[in-house]
Amino acid sequence: MSIYLYGVTRAEVPVPRDARGVGDPPGKVRKLVAGDLAAVVGDAPEGLRARRRYVQAHQSVLLAVAAAGPLLPTRFGVVVADEAAVTARLHADAAGYTSALERVAGRCELNLKASPVEAGLADLVRSDPRLQRLQQESRRRPGYDVSIRLGEAVMAGLRRRAAGAAQQVAAALTALADEVAPGPDVPGCVLNASFLVAADRVAACRAAFDSAAEKLADRAELRLTGPLPCYSFSGLPAPAGA
Amino acid sequence: MTVIADEVVCAPRAGTLYDVLDLILDRGIVIDVFLRVSLVGIEILKVDARIVVASVDTYLRFAEICNRLDLDHDSTSRTVPELFGGAGSVGRAGAKKAAHSVGGKVKDALGISDGHDDEEEDRKPARRRSSAKSSGSKTRSRHRDDEG
Repeated sequence: MSIYLYGVTRAEVPVPRDARGVGDPPGKVRKLVAGDLAAVVGDAPEGLRARRRYVQAHQSVLLAVAAAGPLLPTRFGVVVADEAAVTARLHADAAGYTSALERVAGRCELNLKASPVEAGLADLVRSDPRLQRLQQESRRRPGYDVSIRLGEAVMAGLRRRAAGAAQQVAAALTALADEVAPGPDVPGCVLNASFLVAADRVAACRAAFDSAAEKLADRAELRLTGPLPCYSFSGLPAPAGA
Repeated sequence: MTVIADEVVCAPRAGTLYDVLDLILDRGIVIDVFLRVSLVGIEILKVDARIVVASVDTYLRFAEICNRLDLDHDSTSRTVPELFGGAGSVGRAGAKKAAHSVGGKVKDALGISDGHDDEEEDRKPARRRSSAKSSGSKTRSRHRDDEG
């Protein structure tokens, strides 16, 4: 039976009995102990796909375990041949996993995303000579090409404005965070960044974000998500299994 | 309309899936020795997952907003853009923000615990043929029942 892997934690961290894992019906979640470490696993469902419910289940299990102790979350979709392969891997790089767990212990991830907003377009055009010029040109001699150039310039201006606002919020959060990591490129976002934050600073981060996001609402749509499992801060110190 | 205005202050929390999908699918530990499902396969699948999750979240936001609107007329006779157009004092940006934060609340409520309720909720809004226009950049293309 192949094994679905949710993450790696310390041996003493409990896995909630009622956790509903990936699968249809939802799979049971159990712990495979290997020395001081443990893998959070379940039976891999047949026909594993990135379905909404499966991804949600993956996230739910990780949130539940991370609430109980330090956790290195695996990316969605990691399947192992059998239990022996999992425990062998944990034993083989026990030091690496242990130190990676220390890095995230007592901390969580907050994720900041920012996208442009269209509010205050008139102000944007007024403040940008190039946009003004293109707008006048477009009015004088309307045409496809000038419309495209104007539209591109406006979009770029909106993105620049949103990125500037996002940097302000990111700076406020960086001051409260232990580490910062860029997130993957996401279509439509001008900033995607994750912050490793001590559990007792989450409220301060949220407050800092709320006040900044409100002030900057006419420049960017800002979204702070978390506390999350430490997806972006769980890399092993040394490349494993090279 | 004050109902919507009240919701603007809410922020999405950990229960939302849409804004963390990139992390769940692109971050987190991966060890080659472990992999049987190839990463290439997941790369293809996650494009699909993004479309499904994005559209379902959008439906949930619309549905929640529609449920909160106090209408004199039967709501089934209106389309979603008309509802937003009729919102009057709430500007487009306001509605958009509300839509987003309400979506976050919905996800919180659905929770991270109950997959079946989740599924039930997923399907109802999906029947509505909502136009994407009024939600602006938050709306991705609609996707059918691939979610199943």
